[in-house]
Amino acid sequence: MRKYQTILLPLILITLACDPEPVLLEQNQVIADAGHTGVYVLSEGLFNQNNSTLAWIDFGTGQPDSWNSSTGRSFDCFEKVNGRRIGDTANDMLLYGSRLYIAVSESSTIEILDAATCRSVSQIPLQRGGVASQPRRLTANRGFVYVCCFDGTVTRIDTLTMQADATVTVGRNPDGICCANGKLYVSNSGGLDTQNPDNTVSVIDISTFTETRRITVRENPGSIYADGNNVYVVSRGIFDYGTMDYDSRLHRIDTQTDQVTATFDIPILSMDIVDSKAWFYGYGAGGTIQILDLATGQVTDSDFITDGTRVECPYSITVEPTSHKVYVCDAMDYVTPGSLLCFSPEGRLLYRVPGIGINPNTVVFCDETVSLTRYQGEPEIIGDIDRVFEYMPAPGQFVNLLPKYEPGDDAASMAAKCLNALQSGGMVTLGAFGGYITVGFNATVQNQEGPDFRIDGNAYNGNAEPGVVWVSADTNGNGEPDDAWYEIWGSEQREGRSAPDYTILYIKPTADNGDSPWKGSDGKSGSILFTATLLPDNASFENNQYVFSSFEYGYVDNKPNSLENSAFDIDWAVNPDGTPANLAGIDFIRIQNGVIGCNTTTGELSTEVSAIYSLNQTDK
Amino acid sequence: MSFDVKYCLIAICTLCFHLETQGQVLSDTMRTKDIPQVTVTSDRTNSPGAVSVSKRADARLMQATGTLQVSDVIKYMSGATVKDYGGVGGLKTVSVRGLGASHTAVAYDGIIITDNQTGQIDLGKFSASQAESVRMVSGPDNDLLQPASLAAQAAVISINTGLPQLEEGKSRNSAQLKYGSFNTLSAQAESTFKAGQNNTVSLQAEWLNTKGNYPYIQDNGASSMEMQGLPANILYNENAARERLWNRNGFVQSTLTTFVSQRLTLRFNAKYGITYTRYLDPKVSNTRGRTDNRYTEQEGYLSGVALYRIADCLSASAGVDGRLSGLDGNGAHQARPTRYTINSTAAIKYASERITVTGRLNHVITKEKTILRQAAESYNHLSPTAGLNWTVWPAAGLHLRASYSNTLRLPTFNDLYFEQIGRRDLRPERASVTSAGIVIENEAAGIRYSIYADAYNSNVKDRIMAVPGKNTAVWMMKNIGLVTTHGLETGLELHSLQGLVRPSVMVSYTYQRSMDKSDSNSSTWNHQLPYTPRHSASAIAWIETPYVNASLNLLYSGDYFCNGYNGPEYLMPSYYEIGCSIWKTFTSNMFEETLKAEFINLTNNRYELVRNYPMPGIQVRFSVLITI
Repeated sequence: MRKYQTILLPLILITLACDPEPVLLEQNQVIADAGHTGVYVLSEGLFNQNNSTLAWIDFGTGQPDSWNSSTGRSFDCFEKVNGRRIGDTANDMLLYGSRLYIAVSESSTIEILDAATCRSVSQIPLQRGGVASQPRRLTANRGFVYVCCFDGTVTRIDTLTMQADATVTVGRNPDGICCANGKLYVSNSGGLDTQNPDNTVSVIDISTFTETRRITVRENPGSIYADGNNVYVVSRGIFDYGTMDYDSRLHRIDTQTDQVTATFDIPILSMDIVDSKAWFYGYGAGGTIQILDLATGQVTDSDFITDGTRVECPYSITVEPTSHKVYVCDAMDYVTPGSLLCFSPEGRLLYRVPGIGINPNTVVFCDETVSLTRYQGEPEIIGDIDRVFEYMPAPGQFVNLLPKYEPGDDAASMAAKCLNALQSGGMVTLGAFGGYITVGFNATVQNQEGPDFRIDGNAYNGNAEPGVVWVSADTNGNGEPDDAWYEIWGSEQREGRSAPDYTILYIKPTADNGDSPWKGSDGKSGSILFTATLLPDNASFENNQYVFSSFEYGYVDNKPNSLENSAFDIDWAVNPDGTPANLAGIDFIRIQNGVIGCNTTTGELSTEVSAIYSLNQTDK
Repeated sequence: MSFDVKYCLIAICTLCFHLETQGQVLSDTMRTKDIPQVTVTSDRTNSPGAVSVSKRADARLMQATGTLQVSDVIKYMSGATVKDYGGVGGLKTVSVRGLGASHTAVAYDGIIITDNQTGQIDLGKFSASQAESVRMVSGPDNDLLQPASLAAQAAVISINTGLPQLEEGKSRNSAQLKYGSFNTLSAQAESTFKAGQNNTVSLQAEWLNTKGNYPYIQDNGASSMEMQGLPANILYNENAARERLWNRNGFVQSTLTTFVSQRLTLRFNAKYGITYTRYLDPKVSNTRGRTDNRYTEQEGYLSGVALYRIADCLSASAGVDGRLSGLDGNGAHQARPTRYTINSTAAIKYASERITVTGRLNHVITKEKTILRQAAESYNHLSPTAGLNWTVWPAAGLHLRASYSNTLRLPTFNDLYFEQIGRRDLRPERASVTSAGIVIENEAAGIRYSIYADAYNSNVKDRIMAVPGKNTAVWMMKNIGLVTTHGLETGLELHSLQGLVRPSVMVSYTYQRSMDKSDSNSSTWNHQLPYTPRHSASAIAWIETPYVNASLNLLYSGDYFCNGYNGPEYLMPSYYEIGCSIWKTFTSNMFEETLKAEFINLTNNRYELVRNYPMPGIQVRFSVLITI
């Protein structure tokens, strides 16, 4: 981020030479690269202008996604999909799993997006004592995303709960973070003390999430990169009022010994490492891209661009690891929307996408099929849940956390906490197979054309924890859920792949928080007994990670939240014999975890519920 | 979104905004009698005999426009663009004819107000109750007794306190109390008395306090929310506005005019000013946990002008200003500069019954010293101005006027030395304006009417801007670029001078096409200057009756951009604001009392004039003024 002097002087920015009117790529060029479906390009905008944007360039169509916003054609797919803008100074973006994580520095939030739809699934505000933490850079490791914040902290975000779950203090104004050898390396710039910057790199042990040491480097360390067993950090030094400039160096840190093993006198602003070679740009020579052999410390190519293409102001560089194509963001004059330039490995310009966003700073390759639909506004809703009758979670790692149990809580107070969570965008876990929750609506959900109610969970692609839905109408009119229950048949029941009335016994573990052994339908004794519809095993192990596939339709926490994925039709409710129940409306819903599964990465499969609401709408 | 609301509440509790208390002592102001030119222009909004466009707002007009701060009334003057950061306490700067705020000088009782640190004069700091009149001259002034440093300005806004003519031993005392929306309370007291035969002393004190917690909508599509706050940059999702800026200034100034002989008039000005600025951000992630910048700027100023009437129609004048300015601060790397400036001027004027011609040559020379870092070189520059007014048809009150000015503004201390951005090798910014117009002012059937239209072309070259240096991470100040403006100012005024019921109407329209002419290969080539609408207009109508006075006023601004690059993402939509007021003055032998109610932004229009600085919605204000 370029937060220069903001004190007293609102600076007026001006212009250098740049491109004329923004134009798109020429004639749907084929721009495929290494099997990716396209790239997301994050642009930070201008400081204090709330104009960070996110663009999607589809390799299939060869075009950036555009739409007509209130101010004309826009490439900001974040606003297109979410109906609001990202905020101020989005500094960094990371694709992890199937989600995009964006660190928005001045707005002090982390946005978590579903990469396939660009839909924001969570916005995490980062504050300490009422002060913005200013998240700057991101890295990820083993199910957690780590963000370094300018207030001298690193915060850990659990990708499952999408919540910040721990924070560790590091040095002053960390400006870079990377992960190597089971450790996090954080460059403490101390940049807010211009003449007394920090000069350390914090080392954080990932398993304990504690800072274990600080490595002394040159003053004002900034960008930091991992490469195998080494970490490279750019140290800018102290501003020299004689030359009116910085004098930058590159350090190599050996992550086995955590010692600085080499220092190169190369003025680097930013780089990207592939195969121990660093494509970088510095200052002094305009937009020159150079290549540094990190093994020897020698610049092997002092001018990567061979066809005379001029980059006015390089603002980020990304090298595709297999094709070695080089993606450079050109910030132009910091005021005009910048461009994305793609170069062949030989340094010839392949294509240019102008006008992509103001100060584009991050390029992320995406492998998912991306479908971006325009925000239609939240539907006007006339029915909402207002009661939780029963909350009966099966054992699970988040039980007593989502919602949080406090001493003195009983079944009634936990049910009240569930209601509060479901009404305010919180999260309720059902625990392992069989755990359930029963809720009531304040108005009968009428069986209308199309979907009638919606239940959101926290699923993303490859992490489905499907729950089965039951519905009931208050036919005796006593307001209690003591009427006939009808199961909503999703794809698995209809295809006969599920096992109805499967009973499971959980055995109390010997230690608190220990694993709960369980027995299937044969062992019918003990105190924690659940009977539920068992859905097929959806787990597989691919590319060194567990994948939990979603079913086709009809389950909670099965697919990323969207109107399409989370909606249910009362017509899907069936009688015990599988014939349509033909209900006119419903008043109660029960959701019950329908899968059994447990793994070492994410623990047991537990359905999570974050919202339940009617889709019945008022007549316009 | 519950956390945002909570933040918002904390913000309300902690942000009791304290606008500075202003106190000025004007002493030893010796008034003998006004020179003829001033007498001609008094009581009129236009000066048909002036060589430049000249607008004047008197106390009556300020009453009609609901003026609280001097900047409020300037919004109604054609050719001026007010950049308003929202509400009471928000910075307000004025740019005339696309020249930029730094080419528009502000004078207080004939002496220029300077800010050598930023060059930015905040007109929001001047309460309208201090001013008897506000005058804006866009070009060379007819007044040959202008001090050298004012005469060398492209445009001047003069705030005149207008001391009353008192008999010896008499005094005039007044007190004013205003209360309005958002808990804005102000109190003002003034005492003017005659001390000795030739001295009039005026003491003023004003206190203003506002919570300024006006509600506004933060518009972010699906996440829009209603909030409250003070003038501050509002960021999405993060609303912990907490920065504080204190600004205290005090000055003592004195003017002495003597008529040595029938032919020779001398005027001397002296001033000492001190400005104390403190910027505090109490929650910054640096070692001290805060940013606390303190600056003290001091200035001493002496000026002398001699006017000599060579013949009935021909006069000449010469003047010298000496100025000593210093900036001190608490930062470890502050240059702590001192600048010695000598402004000299020589002017000649031919004024017959039908023709007025003026010519002037200005010169500035400086010497600069610093405690840390290398000081800037000396500046040594000449700048001429000239003007013509020709009464083509005296019976109809038809005048033609034309003027040319070539002026400059020196780099400020911030331009030269601010932290890592300032550069000591800057040249001054140069502004040149050529203007021509027609004005008709006459009376018929008890109505004074005036119509005017002036077209101009202005150029500002060597603009001083912050640009990325060769290390793009380090920005620097640089002379770069040229801005050319073609503009038109036009207006119509009708004032009823007789009768018990006297209506008045003033309408004005401004066209400004300010183009970036820096580099024809640049994406901003020919783009409109930021915060400069192409079209803007104002209208004021008021009526005076024996029972009560009432006014209705309208401001309109067309679309404009908040950035030099005119992309759609920087477009600021057009807006208008309507206000009205009603007031009555009760007079008795002992005292005079005025009661007034004002409604500002009557239609509760929600807009931002400066991006992300929301303006307040509808406001109500009541005031009582008692004069004894």
